[in-house]
Amino acid sequence: MALIDLVVEKIVKIPLESQDKPDTIRELVQILKDAGEIDDFDAVLKAVQDREDKQSTGLEQGIAVPHCKSDAVASLKLAIGIAKQPTNLFFLLVASPELSGPHVEALAEIAKLARSKAFCKALVHAENAKEVVDLLKGK
Amino acid sequence: MSNPIKKIMVYVDGTEQSITAAQYAICLASFSGAELIAHYVINTRAVEDLLKARIFLKDEQVEYEHDMEADAERYLNYINELAVKKGVSVIKKRSRGSVHREIADSIEAEDVDLLVIGELSRIRSRRDEFFDETERAMRAVSCSVLIVKDEDRVWEMYESLV
Repeated sequence: MALIDLVVEKIVKIPLESQDKPDTIRELVQILKDAGEIDDFDAVLKAVQDREDKQSTGLEQGIAVPHCKSDAVASLKLAIGIAKQPTNLFFLLVASPELSGPHVEALAEIAKLARSKAFCKALVHAENAKEVVDLLKGK
Repeated sequence: MSNPIKKIMVYVDGTEQSITAAQYAICLASFSGAELIAHYVINTRAVEDLLKARIFLKDEQVEYEHDMEADAERYLNYINELAVKKGVSVIKKRSRGSVHREIADSIEAEDVDLLVIGELSRIRSRRDEFFDETERAMRAVSCSVLIVKDEDRVWEMYESLV
């Protein structure tokens, strides 16, 4: 499964409303819940928080990639959130523990994407979810 | 003319698509009498990149590599079980490194005639970032490549194999 297959409008939120890290993570997990991608909100939230407690996955240029393994999902789950003030781009990735290979490859795709400053700039300036999906799919 | 396909390699990564590809490859091996190799690559290259990008901690690098080793064992054993049920023998192959590079090198080293892979993304993207490892492998190998589609039809074909 390629990362691009996971990108649909319902897993994208612009703008994020949260002002701090714990609330942002909660809001990202809520995107998955609202999109019908997960059932057990609390289990996924705890798994993401536990990973973030070890060390933040914030990269340079205002990009963060919170991620975790969780038995609460059977496949890869992606949520994308864009905060406007300050501008920040978040990719949340949750994977089944039995899919470590595809999980690693999806994270690697996000890391490659994050290296393109111009593309990330275009993403954070997107006005809505459709624009993000179109940008990611190269339309 | 002798059988043009003497050696088949199927790439297995744990996805449903790769399991379907393996079922198809088992059928092909059974029909053609070709030797079948199931190959799982532990993507240590991506893990190293994630550590450099600070997405992974050192602990996570070790943990995920361990997880992928376990996945490789589990999925290759599963493919072996699927093959044994149909009287086909499988050579289980596991390697570490960059997925598309490892597959391409193995194809050369083992003199494989046909690479069988699972269905690729249905979405076309012009961005290089979204060429996944299976797609890269398809482009990198020197032999012919068969992309397996239609999970239900393949399952029926596999099930009907005696």
